[in-house]
Amino acid sequence: MTVSMNRRSLLAAMSAAAATSAGPVFGQARGEQILVVMWGAQWIEVCRPIGEEWLRATGDRVQWELHAGGAMGIVGRMRPQFPRIQQNLVAAWDPVFDAMIEADWLEPVSETEMSALKEIPEIFFKKDKQGRKITVPLSTAGAFWGYRTDLLDKPLENIEQLLEPRFKGKLCVPVPVNLSGLLMVSLAIQRGGNERNIEPGWQFLKELAQRGNIGRVVANNSEMINAMSQGDLSVAFWNTGGWQAVSERFPTRLLTRLNDNKGFLFNEGYVVMKGDNPAKIAAAKRFANHFATAEINTRYNMPLGSGPTNVNAKPADAIKDIFYKPDELAKYAYIPDYSYMSTQVDAWTRRWETEITPLVRQG
Amino acid sequence: MMRLPIAVWLIVPGAAALVLLMGGPVAVLTIDSLRPYIPGSIRAGDGYTFANYIELAKPAYFNYAYETFRIGLIVSAFSVAMGAPLAYVAVRSRRAIVRKGLLTLLVGLLVMSLIARLYAIEMTWGTHGPLAFIGAFVSGLAPRSPRYAEVLVAIGLMHFTIPIVALMLVGAFRALSPRLEEAAASLGATRSEAILTVVLPLAAPAMVSAYLVSLAMCISNFVAPLLLGRGVVVFTTNLMYTRFTDIGNYQAGAAIGVFMLIASFAVVYGLATIAKKFLPGAVPTR
Repeated sequence: MTVSMNRRSLLAAMSAAAATSAGPVFGQARGEQILVVMWGAQWIEVCRPIGEEWLRATGDRVQWELHAGGAMGIVGRMRPQFPRIQQNLVAAWDPVFDAMIEADWLEPVSETEMSALKEIPEIFFKKDKQGRKITVPLSTAGAFWGYRTDLLDKPLENIEQLLEPRFKGKLCVPVPVNLSGLLMVSLAIQRGGNERNIEPGWQFLKELAQRGNIGRVVANNSEMINAMSQGDLSVAFWNTGGWQAVSERFPTRLLTRLNDNKGFLFNEGYVVMKGDNPAKIAAAKRFANHFATAEINTRYNMPLGSGPTNVNAKPADAIKDIFYKPDELAKYAYIPDYSYMSTQVDAWTRRWETEITPLVRQG
Repeated sequence: MMRLPIAVWLIVPGAAALVLLMGGPVAVLTIDSLRPYIPGSIRAGDGYTFANYIELAKPAYFNYAYETFRIGLIVSAFSVAMGAPLAYVAVRSRRAIVRKGLLTLLVGLLVMSLIARLYAIEMTWGTHGPLAFIGAFVSGLAPRSPRYAEVLVAIGLMHFTIPIVALMLVGAFRALSPRLEEAAASLGATRSEAILTVVLPLAAPAMVSAYLVSLAMCISNFVAPLLLGRGVVVFTTNLMYTRFTDIGNYQAGAAIGVFMLIASFAVVYGLATIAKKFLPGAVPTR
């Protein structure tokens, strides 16, 4: 007897197998339509086929909505409607999770309902005031200084060198709201500070701006990738997703192992939104659990240049230089207090607008 | 029973739409602008405060508003200066192909995606663009300098104000009888004298209106400074976007919005008053 198997039936069988092995929520009624918020660019490219396979395997239908600007934007869009919101699952990162947890918008998740969560280390989860898990961590990403090696005569060895005249107009930096102010934290660390002692960072930033070394201020991934592709900027501080795209086009070096500075790590993933329709909440949990399984977690993170969170997932070869071995974490990596930073971003933005932008504009 | 004039009935739908669609959101925005912001929280604090408006009194925020209006005023002046001749030729040219071609071009420019045009401007006039040397020569700024971003933003704004201004003036020039220019010519005026002494004064009301519309489009523009401003040319609209979208400080964003509404009314009213004083025919009076 021969068994005929085409690509579609193979994918459907794989998804069905993953769904079956993923826990009790999959035993509930299928065929729900859920609205999932995701980033654009590579993120949605990876997610659409996963969603289509999911539909074929389970009957659950996924409607995608894309973040406009930073992930915090979705909070503004949902705020006037909450709790009567349409979104069931939202992809975001640490500071946005903190804001949503504080507002009590999120549905707790558990390993009983979502078996794939057992394969994610405890440290990656965010919890609510009652200590319940509240996020579905999917990626470990980072933010680092880096540069295009084809545009620099001699290597950049430490952050203090950014003040040199050779970097006039060459720096691409994020506005404080992007990456929750990690730029200032990085500069503060360089001068002996941190996120709670941020003043040294502001002083460093003012020096950079006064010397005309900041050539461009970007607000999202596309802007960073475009800016670094044009050739007039050589150094940037940005996240792994942006660097991944730049390094595909140009020779780059990420300064992930500086002795006197740090790279930053953060988590991205899903949160299940509260709502009055239990069937949709269950469907959202089923779908989030599917993303957390080892196979899909591998597929999701490979093109993003992010590290997977499922211990059984396979990280991409391209990120081996970006992510730290356990013994390197203390020396080179820093996980700041994002909850505290999210309370400071407003003040940091005002300070940027009143003290830094006028200096940058003078050139 | 007193019967209402037909004119009253005619304005009822528009007035009702204005009150509901504009008045409602502006009222909500005004109330939100008076609520306190709690750092790190999505929810507004209790009570009411003027703190969000007091913040705007800082010189840096005055500068953002000043820059927004300054660039808007300059761009609008250029737009009228360039749009008026285009409109005149589109109406008065003896060649039908020129008239139709110009009108098609103006309408076509409006149809083309603004985002595509702005990125095309960046590619053409930006640091490594083939026309960057012209922008640098005219502005006296190095294309790599942050201040050159102003030039890019101005070019971006003119891309959509010039067609609007020109199309508005097409109607005004059409309404002017060519016999007036012929009469001036029969009295010995050259073509340019006839345009300067007859056509332009008669078209002044329309040109003032077109200027104000262009100004309104510039100061409320968000995309051009966002994409071409390199993060250093920041309009008040960009400040508002940051407050609403990135920080979640809706109260401060609302305060900037209300402030800009009042400032825009004041500037437009002031300009209309000046135009009325120096160009008596430019603003209709009763």
